[in-house]
Amino acid sequence: MSNTLQIFMIIAEVIYFILIFCFLKRKTLSLKYTLLWLIAGLVMLFFTIFPLTMIRAVKFIGVESAMNGLFALCIFFIIIILMSLTSIASKQSERIRTLTQQIAILEKRVREIEELNEKADENSNMQEGA
Amino acid sequence: MKVLVIIPAYNEEESIKMTIDKLSKDAPYVDYLVVNDCSRDHTKEILEQMHASFISLPVNLGIGGAVQSGYRYALANHYDIAVQIDGDGQHDTAYLATVLEPLQKQEADVVIGSRFIAKEGFQSSGMRRAGIKILDSLIFLCTGIEIKDSTSGFRAINRTMIELYAKEYPIDYPEPEAIVRAAVEAARILEVPVVMKERNAGQSSIRPLHSAYYMLKVSIAIILCRISNHKRRK
Repeated sequence: MSNTLQIFMIIAEVIYFILIFCFLKRKTLSLKYTLLWLIAGLVMLFFTIFPLTMIRAVKFIGVESAMNGLFALCIFFIIIILMSLTSIASKQSERIRTLTQQIAILEKRVREIEELNEKADENSNMQEGA
Repeated sequence: MKVLVIIPAYNEEESIKMTIDKLSKDAPYVDYLVVNDCSRDHTKEILEQMHASFISLPVNLGIGGAVQSGYRYALANHYDIAVQIDGDGQHDTAYLATVLEPLQKQEADVVIGSRFIAKEGFQSSGMRRAGIKILDSLIFLCTGIEIKDSTSGFRAINRTMIELYAKEYPIDYPEPEAIVRAAVEAARILEVPVVMKERNAGQSSIRPLHSAYYMLKVSIAIILCRISNHKRRK
């Protein structure tokens, strides 16, 4: 890995972390779901600062070029993050379903109570009239 | 025993009134609940005009979510038996007593109204019957229970099953999967013959273009449901 590439990679990763922290600060990302992004960033940063470790690790798993190893690693992280997003979406749709059902059942109760109240009002009005 | 008939309805403005009227005539001794699954037509207005007993979902949940709302309602209001029928009038409520009987005698936990036992009435197209056969065989392989009409939406369950289905019910094409879910809980599942009519109006939730997707999804769901729940023995 050339020095220029190393420097640009580090700059890119710093921007990456600043972005994540900005999102976290503005609370548009919740920490729970950001941990994966942070871990992925840290691993990338580690490999950029110590490229030799990556070259060795990449050789160990049988990939010839270090850059290809880096791409493979990126794709791996992206797939994991996508899976976690699918899992989050599934959990949320489950919750929305329960909420929707509960609201509908409550709405029926409210409707019935309102009808009862109206009837009670009419009755008391009639009694007052009499 | 308190019985609740759950009628999921999605865009059923043409048939919902008839379904309710027929139900009240055939079985005046049961309560019913229409679940309006966020219909885009006038189903809700019709229900309001009729002063029908209904709940209206603010978001479209699909048939599984709609039926499950009914089971939640049944659970909260202490019903002993819940029956589900379709809102389009293809299930003849004259057979309600047939479906209820095994539950009232406590001979079964789940009763399925099957159109393929007596082989009378609307039998569905050959393709669809073949698909149902495949699902039935898969259910038999996974649970050892022989069902002839696993996609029938005409079914009755007792209190124990209401509790289970209120908690978890399959979402998209729920009927076959719900049978497997009940089977792994060692529920006694019984099929009784009923006669179904062709749909009065509206669209079946199984459209031809979707059938390949339907088969694949339901098959995977059945197998998944079987392997992720250990069978309980009584």
